[in-house]
Amino acid sequence: MLLALLNACRQQASEQQPGKMAVVISTLNNPWFVVLGESAAQKARELGYEAHIFDSQNNSSKEAEHFDNIIAMGYDAILFNPTDADGSVLNVKRAGNAGIPTFCMDREINSADAAASQLLSDSFTGCVKLGEFFVKQLGKKGEYVEILGLVGDNNTWNRSNGFHSVVDEFPELKMVAQQSADFDRNKAMEVMESVLQAHPSINAVFCGNDAMALGAYQAILAAGKSNQIKVFGFDGSDDALYAIAEGKLAATVMQFPVLMAEQSAELADRYLKGETELSRKMPVEVELVTADNVSDYLPVKK
Amino acid sequence: MNKLTIKQYILKFQSIIALLVMCIAMSFLSDRFLTVENTWNVMRQISVNLIISVGMTLVILTKGIDLSVGSVLAIAGAVTASIVKFGAEIPSMNVYLQFTLVGAIAGGILAGVLLGGFNGLMITRFKVPPFVATLAMLTIARGMTMLWTGGFPITGMTKEMAFIGTGWFLGIPMPVWISAVVVLIAVLVTKRTQLGRHIYAVGGNETAARLSGLKIERIKLIVYSVAGAMAAIAGILVTSRLDSAQPNAGAGYELDSIAAVVIGGTSLSGGKGSVMGTVQGALIIGVLNNGLVLLNVSPFWQQIIKGLVILIAVGIEKINSKEE
Repeated sequence: MLLALLNACRQQASEQQPGKMAVVISTLNNPWFVVLGESAAQKARELGYEAHIFDSQNNSSKEAEHFDNIIAMGYDAILFNPTDADGSVLNVKRAGNAGIPTFCMDREINSADAAASQLLSDSFTGCVKLGEFFVKQLGKKGEYVEILGLVGDNNTWNRSNGFHSVVDEFPELKMVAQQSADFDRNKAMEVMESVLQAHPSINAVFCGNDAMALGAYQAILAAGKSNQIKVFGFDGSDDALYAIAEGKLAATVMQFPVLMAEQSAELADRYLKGETELSRKMPVEVELVTADNVSDYLPVKK
Repeated sequence: MNKLTIKQYILKFQSIIALLVMCIAMSFLSDRFLTVENTWNVMRQISVNLIISVGMTLVILTKGIDLSVGSVLAIAGAVTASIVKFGAEIPSMNVYLQFTLVGAIAGGILAGVLLGGFNGLMITRFKVPPFVATLAMLTIARGMTMLWTGGFPITGMTKEMAFIGTGWFLGIPMPVWISAVVVLIAVLVTKRTQLGRHIYAVGGNETAARLSGLKIERIKLIVYSVAGAMAAIAGILVTSRLDSAQPNAGAGYELDSIAAVVIGGTSLSGGKGSVMGTVQGALIIGVLNNGLVLLNVSPFWQQIIKGLVILIAVGIEKINSKEE
């Protein structure tokens, strides 16, 4: 009731001046999230809102400060990419209490009703698809290495678990090492260099994102083993798509940050115009990209 | 004077003993450790940290600190990568410049020198404490890297560029050559030149150094510029090895570098330590990183173990230097 009243007030206010949307992104240190944030802000502007991007720098307390400021400045809606599934819930609730609806993008928060809606990239299912392709490529047997992202990150484990839910069914596929490289290209290269010393005869490496996959590939290339070892990534970054087209990587999972961001902005717009009964959680499809279909996804060369 | 050298020798031996113990333990635990291939591998891997740490050693010898090295590394890598890939355009003059590789590298190093020099200027002119001045530069240079790259990696360099990081010369990997040259020059400067003696003097007792007429501002300015240049060289190396300049390259490298310096026996309170000590520190960290992966130790444990090694290394050294 109170919410509706507040909403009505804001509707009136917004007739005099354009509404404002805040775009809060977990980190801008990674191109994928830059695309997510900028697409969301861009779409919001197209829909006639003022839009500002806030960078949480992967830090939940910085994120909390952003929410305080956003509430104080009277934004109308928040397009939100959380730093942490649990740690971000209170922020979203605080905004909700202040009458500001939040729309989660890509990463979820562990609360059924705090956010107005959540558009989630389905990492787990994506890695199930990748795992199936992985098994086929290796002919159900061989030795492989897994390079994890940040070990404190939800996505790291969603991806790893999705992959293992398939691959662990095949006892002849043996994981000889599991190491972390923090989603970082250089670290992945160094880890891979050392792994290759310990396990020179591996057949494949599965990396939690494309940056690490490309770093691992660089190490494999330097060791002269690029024909022996297949590399699998996740994200669908431009670099990785080119690498697949050139036969360097075997596969990646394409996420659609632009689509996700634009849909979130549209949802927020519809919500502010009175359509408040939205589905709480909407999965956004992810696609397996291999040499067979990479031409459908390649970005136009600049 | 004599006593001090004996002490320095003992300090040197401590790191070497620690390194030997680690290497022996590792070769028992993994038959893959003590191979020619893996030795080059470790040497190549430490070269980036070692180059940064040489600059860091000089800074710490003057009782300073440089937290900005990781970010400076990133911007220098990005500058070099973009010049190699796209050249430079000056639209107002309608000029398009195509750079040679040397030009591109010079551009990257120049960026590092300028940012390091800015650190030095803030510290000497405006009396900003080194911790704060370089902390500010850590975020400024990272932001500049984001602006420069738009947040996207710059990928796909020339073959010549790739040679710097991945090539071999006379049977030794290029990064090892580069770090060896850097170390050699730094050792000569610190041990044999007036500038080197002055660096120790400034860190040992700044007031005394000032009273004896040393140009402290100038020395510090040089030291921070050199630290920036070292970070830049490391950045170019990383970019070359990855065939890509990553906008988030080098994040957290300042910590590995400070760790190498203190494990190598250089005192954070200035005036005491050596470049060769830092070489041993970087080797210890490198062997540790390599060994933990070879043994497939869980990533959770790796972080704890690395922290403990730093504590033990510096703890033992402190006890011994008190007993002296």
